[in-house]
Amino acid sequence: MTVLRDYAANLSQPTLTGTELRYDEVVAPDGTLRGSWKGLADLAVRLTGTDLARLEDEIRQQLNNDGVTYVRKDSETGALPNSWQLDPVPLVISAAEWGPLEVGLAQRAELLNAILVDLYGPQRLLRDGVLPPEVVFGHSGFVRTMARAGLTDSQPLVIAAADLGRSRDGTWTVISDRAQAPSGIGYALENRRVISQVLPELYREAGLHRVRPFLDAFRSALMQAADIEVLDPRIVVLSPGTHSETSYDQANVAASLGFPLVRGSDLMVRQGRVYLREYAGGMEQVHVILRRVDASWSDPLELRADSQLGVPGLSEAVRRGTVRIVNGLGAGVLENPGLLPFLPAASEALLGESLRLDSVRTWWCGDPEGLQTVLANLDQLTVRSIDQPDLPSDLDALRRSIQQTPHRYIGQERLALSQAPAFAGGTLEPQQLTLRTFTLRSGSAYRPMVGGLASTYGTGATADRTSSKDVWVLKANPEEADLERAEVLALASMQARPAVVPRALDDLYWFGRYTARTEDTLRLLLAAHTLSEDFQSRPQSAGGKASAVMLTALGGLTGAPVGGDEIDRQLRAILLNAQQPGSVAQSVAALRECAQSVRDQLSLDVWKAFSAFDRASWELVRHQHSYQVSESAGRMLNATLALHGVTSNMMRDEGWRMIRIGGWIERALQVARLLRLGIVRHGLDVDRMVLNQALLAADSAVTHQRRYRGYVRPRTVLDLLLLDPENPRSVLFALTELRRHLGDLKASTGSTRPERLLDDLIEECTAVDLTTMVALDGESRPHLAKHLDSLSRGLVRLADAIPAQHFETGPQMRPLGLMAGPS
Amino acid sequence: MKYHVWHRTTYTYDEPVTNSLGVGHLTPRALPWQYVSSPEVTIEPVPGDLTHEIDFYGNHATYFQVTAPHTELRVTSKADVEVLVPAYDDSALAAPWETADPTRRREVRDAWQAVDFALESSKIRHTEQAHEYGAVSLQPGRPIGEAVTDLMHRIYTDFTYEVGATTVTSTVDDVLSKRAGVCQDFAHLTIACLRTHGLAARYVSGYLATTPPPGRERIVGADASHAWVAVWVPGTENWLAVDPTNDQWVNDRYITAAWGRDYGDVPPLKGVIFSDAKKSTLKVEVDVAPTP
Repeated sequence: MTVLRDYAANLSQPTLTGTELRYDEVVAPDGTLRGSWKGLADLAVRLTGTDLARLEDEIRQQLNNDGVTYVRKDSETGALPNSWQLDPVPLVISAAEWGPLEVGLAQRAELLNAILVDLYGPQRLLRDGVLPPEVVFGHSGFVRTMARAGLTDSQPLVIAAADLGRSRDGTWTVISDRAQAPSGIGYALENRRVISQVLPELYREAGLHRVRPFLDAFRSALMQAADIEVLDPRIVVLSPGTHSETSYDQANVAASLGFPLVRGSDLMVRQGRVYLREYAGGMEQVHVILRRVDASWSDPLELRADSQLGVPGLSEAVRRGTVRIVNGLGAGVLENPGLLPFLPAASEALLGESLRLDSVRTWWCGDPEGLQTVLANLDQLTVRSIDQPDLPSDLDALRRSIQQTPHRYIGQERLALSQAPAFAGGTLEPQQLTLRTFTLRSGSAYRPMVGGLASTYGTGATADRTSSKDVWVLKANPEEADLERAEVLALASMQARPAVVPRALDDLYWFGRYTARTEDTLRLLLAAHTLSEDFQSRPQSAGGKASAVMLTALGGLTGAPVGGDEIDRQLRAILLNAQQPGSVAQSVAALRECAQSVRDQLSLDVWKAFSAFDRASWELVRHQHSYQVSESAGRMLNATLALHGVTSNMMRDEGWRMIRIGGWIERALQVARLLRLGIVRHGLDVDRMVLNQALLAADSAVTHQRRYRGYVRPRTVLDLLLLDPENPRSVLFALTELRRHLGDLKASTGSTRPERLLDDLIEECTAVDLTTMVALDGESRPHLAKHLDSLSRGLVRLADAIPAQHFETGPQMRPLGLMAGPS
Repeated sequence: MKYHVWHRTTYTYDEPVTNSLGVGHLTPRALPWQYVSSPEVTIEPVPGDLTHEIDFYGNHATYFQVTAPHTELRVTSKADVEVLVPAYDDSALAAPWETADPTRRREVRDAWQAVDFALESSKIRHTEQAHEYGAVSLQPGRPIGEAVTDLMHRIYTDFTYEVGATTVTSTVDDVLSKRAGVCQDFAHLTIACLRTHGLAARYVSGYLATTPPPGRERIVGADASHAWVAVWVPGTENWLAVDPTNDQWVNDRYITAAWGRDYGDVPPLKGVIFSDAKKSTLKVEVDVAPTP
């Protein structure tokens, strides 16, 4: 028996309990497969539980490799990136079913756009009593600064999303509309990419609509949103940053569209126009902003004054028509369940048509009858505030809130959502689902994405688990086109221009630094661990003493002493505890943060490397043997090296240079720190072993062996790691590389402060006399100590001077302070 | 009465400001009982960008951006204004206050717009205490003119005018518990008392011409901006404007600058600066000079 047959068989069992009867997406009431699945039956029915388990593994692997996250807010630990969940079994919708839904969605978007145009313009709906004014004026999404006489935006709604559920009789019903800054397109694209790869045969055979054309249409719609006079509009995606719940989605949309992902601080307003800050003080006008920041946070001048996510003056630029925001700043007023009961009337009033797609039955409490119905059925209905996510949890408190401000509440019928098979615990279980659709303004009409994003909700043991499904809309016949392309602009005019904002360069600089820091810390840890494993039982031997020296050096680097009886635990903490300053885990977390913030500029392979880090960490948590420490550290090292590989394939632009500059500075700092191992004498044998491990940690043991025939002395080590112009691990080599990359930057003049500091450092380094360096005074080498101190100080100064020179974007933004009140 | 209104706001910073964006609600609006001529807003340093617009509520809004580095920003507004005593329809004021809930008077032509002023706003929360305080004046069936006047009088009597008792962020309940505040607080409190009973009330920002004490010269710049309240009275054009700070109906000494749901909609000046400055000092000078 296969899992799909089992699923169907279980459904047809008469249920003992009074479980609600739901529409099943795959199995008809008579136990046969629904029409949409008939064409897939041959392949799908063959899938066994083992197949699905394997598919689930592959999906997880792929999602990890792409770094797909959905950040859930956790009250105790702050924001935690969770991995995105995707079920192997798609939601399949037949052409016959999709047809009417598509028409309904297009009409709904047209209606919502017309409502927006009216609410921010003539307000006929309010004047004529079609919409109660308290629903609109009382909603936080109504932006009065955008509702001024004479402002006209005939298409404030470019992209609309809706969450739908399928009721018992199989009709799709809208539960809520999303218009502020709809999320999910990035996830839908990724879901499709992954599913098409893990289920290639099924995907090929199914004859389904592709989603790629939607992306082209989206790009085209954004370009059309620009002022018609602008031939080559600059379009950006405005994101609140990497801590946003859907930051992956934002970055994937930006990267897929080929538009830069920016934050509020990357933009500025001058003369009522919006500009993108560019490297070295340049600026370029922005014509269209795909907005993922909620309107209230978008302009600290006229909206929330405490927002750091916005651009002061943005509202004014919009009012002057120099920039188009998609969706418009006022669009949030549509995310208002209080509008639902009035949509049929609004449709008649504005479009002269009856509403095709039903909303879930909704009662507005501002209406006395609605209030009565809701209060009488408080436990039967879903009560929602028109604009607040949280409601009082107990019914009495809720009742009081509703009675106090009835116009702010609605009650909705609880839809018996349809169910679909989802893979859980080795078998397919029926899980409820909702469908998010995306409808795009395309030319003069609205067209939905032929597909979408389905969410499934676990029941019983998996109740807290939500997952997603790819959505397959089948073609009526295989020849059918994917999406009419008539309105899609020729892509020839789409020259993706790189936009490197100073903030992104800063992130790339730190990406370089953290990559090198991770690598060097791992190498030091590995070198120290080898000795400690070998001499653990003989602490008084030369090896034991050398081990202690190495561990102390590692401890100095990572903020907590290493040694004694708990070495294994301490090393694990360095690899796993991101809270520990200087730890590998902390560097990787910071590295990941940098990468997330410039996700649109990096190859997807970066995320594979992070996925490898995560696996190595996981293995270390799982296995308690001490050898797992070096095993996992070794794998982490490989992942770091893979990151080097990724960046070596980047375009040689300013961004790449910043990664290299960050990398070389960090390398020089780390080697200078490592060489401190040569300052104090511990005895001939101990010193030799320590220097050997230092060479190992600097990845120069083999070179040293070849050049000095294995005879390790402080002088040879210094020669190789400090001064050798050909050893890529030497300080001088790093400084020379730095000089080259720094000189290649557009804003370098040959005499900028970082360049001057670097010249001094190089001079200081080349003047070093090794005989003096190794000269002993008692048990230590004071000249070496002095030189390394000075070198480190110089490097730190340089490391600070580079951001100050190249990424500085001027002073902080802050409110002027509300004027002292009137008296 | 005719006046020349002069209002200057000066910000001084300890470090240069390289970019300053601002919005002002400074120019008095034209009204059936208020005629405004030769209004002017001057900003120093000279802004690279300056526009005058009409906002959602029909107020003048001035938008400006100064990008010349400066340690002092000066915004000066001037206008000549002629004001009449607002005229009210006595029969409308005699109607029971309960008939002035715009959500229940959909048949009244401008009720839908008045609803905006009947709802809770971000600086005027609808609290139990405000409702209770208002209920004493809003006795069942009482004529709206009388009820509102009584509320105004009670606030004037029960509360102490005290600069520094509150800040611009003080809430209605803060004011109720302190029993003290300035004009903005009294206006917010009055509005909260009215709105929690379903009435629509505006926050009005403007100026009050003051008379110097007998025998003294009028001191230029010693006046201040002022705030009061206007209540929707169904069936009339003029909202009933009352000043709880001075216990009187608004008359021809009151110059209306702008109105909104609360102070947050119409601060005389607000802005965003880009600066490393640690300190800024604010100086406000207002002069309302009678003219022939």
